[in-house]
Amino acid sequence: MEDHELVRRAQSGDDRSFATLVRRHERTLYATAYAITRSQWDAADAVQDALTDAYLNITALRDPTRFAAWVSRIVVNRCNGLLRRRSRVVPLEEPPEPQAFVWDGPEDGIDLMRALQSLSPDHREVIALRYFRDLKVDDVAAVLGCPPGTVKSRINRALASLQATLSRDHSAQEV
Amino acid sequence: MNCSDVRDSIESYITDDLSDTESAKVAAHLAACDGCATAYEETRALVAGLSGIAESFVPRERFVPERPYAPRPVGGWGWRIAAVAASILALLAISALSVPAIARELPLPLAREIDALEQTNETLKEQVDELTVRLETIGGVEVAIVDTAPGDVAPEVAEAVKTLAMDFVRAQYSGDLEALAAMGTQRLRADLTAHPEDYLRARDAAVVFAQMTEPVDAGDGTFLIFVRLSDSADWVDSQYQEDFEIKLIDGVYLVDFMGMDA
Repeated sequence: MEDHELVRRAQSGDDRSFATLVRRHERTLYATAYAITRSQWDAADAVQDALTDAYLNITALRDPTRFAAWVSRIVVNRCNGLLRRRSRVVPLEEPPEPQAFVWDGPEDGIDLMRALQSLSPDHREVIALRYFRDLKVDDVAAVLGCPPGTVKSRINRALASLQATLSRDHSAQEV
Repeated sequence: MNCSDVRDSIESYITDDLSDTESAKVAAHLAACDGCATAYEETRALVAGLSGIAESFVPRERFVPERPYAPRPVGGWGWRIAAVAASILALLAISALSVPAIARELPLPLAREIDALEQTNETLKEQVDELTVRLETIGGVEVAIVDTAPGDVAPEVAEAVKTLAMDFVRAQYSGDLEALAAMGTQRLRADLTAHPEDYLRARDAAVVFAQMTEPVDAGDGTFLIFVRLSDSADWVDSQYQEDFEIKLIDGVYLVDFMGMDA
């Protein structure tokens, strides 16, 4: 069943449909929140709060086909709110904290994630929405409240920075 | 298209977000330019890598959104409770009668609720005997009362709260806004003035009180009661639910909040 149908059912009070939506989206929402907050526990808090918001306000979503962007926006807002309240610095050298999630991806994916964490907040945000949440540029623009052109150029710059970081890391390992 | 234009379009080209014409131009340039072709390959690998790790984060524990509970922030609490209660009471009404003292356990964390709903049938079978439902005559009408929180409030308080909820519903069906206002707190009266349509029901329809919960003392001077209703001649089960928050003010019970649920 597609997302929009599950949303319609959830809006009618069908909690099983909402649960299915949660299961379908939680990994990529978590990845997005982790990319933005750079802390597993902050990410878990942000996603948890965002899912509560989504559950309580699901009837406010007028266009069910927009669920992916809508819930992404809630997560981003929660992450940014959390970051504003905290000044915690997470050392970049540390590998992902082992407690909050199990890594079920490719070995070199951890290097990629670490490289992503070295980017600026704006770049991490746009990369996560575009590739983790698989949103179109227009949807990313809607989530972030900026023009699509800004999103495009931000993505290009973010990818270039990421490429440079990976090349640098690779060179350092060879030395 | 020069190299700069192509570099700006590579990401959109990879994700298939260019028009056919633009895409053809980029492809033609990549076929002829080694520098851009290398940039394309690097970006393509990077995008594939990022997309490939999107699903790699498996939460060790299922997300459990917490529902904030009392003390109630002004204006924000009642509907949250009502949202949870609605699904639970609907469950009671439709499936059987279960979950003892459920109102005391509100608010349920979402994941627990979802898991519980996923096991609904088994749970209901096991717990169906633990909850009592009795017929009670309130104001001359016989209503099924679900003992969700037996003994939580004194009998005279329970009767006053139940009677008020039923009178309120009757006034809704008779279209009597003055009577509704007289039964409400200042907060409710303000909402009634702003959105009278939220309170009025099908005029003179034959309302049936299908079920009510025992009132619950929320601990801050508020009593919660959930009423399942029907106004259909084809009634086989309750059609919808009204969730009430009732306060005792200067010796008079008044409705502070009424929300409608499916």
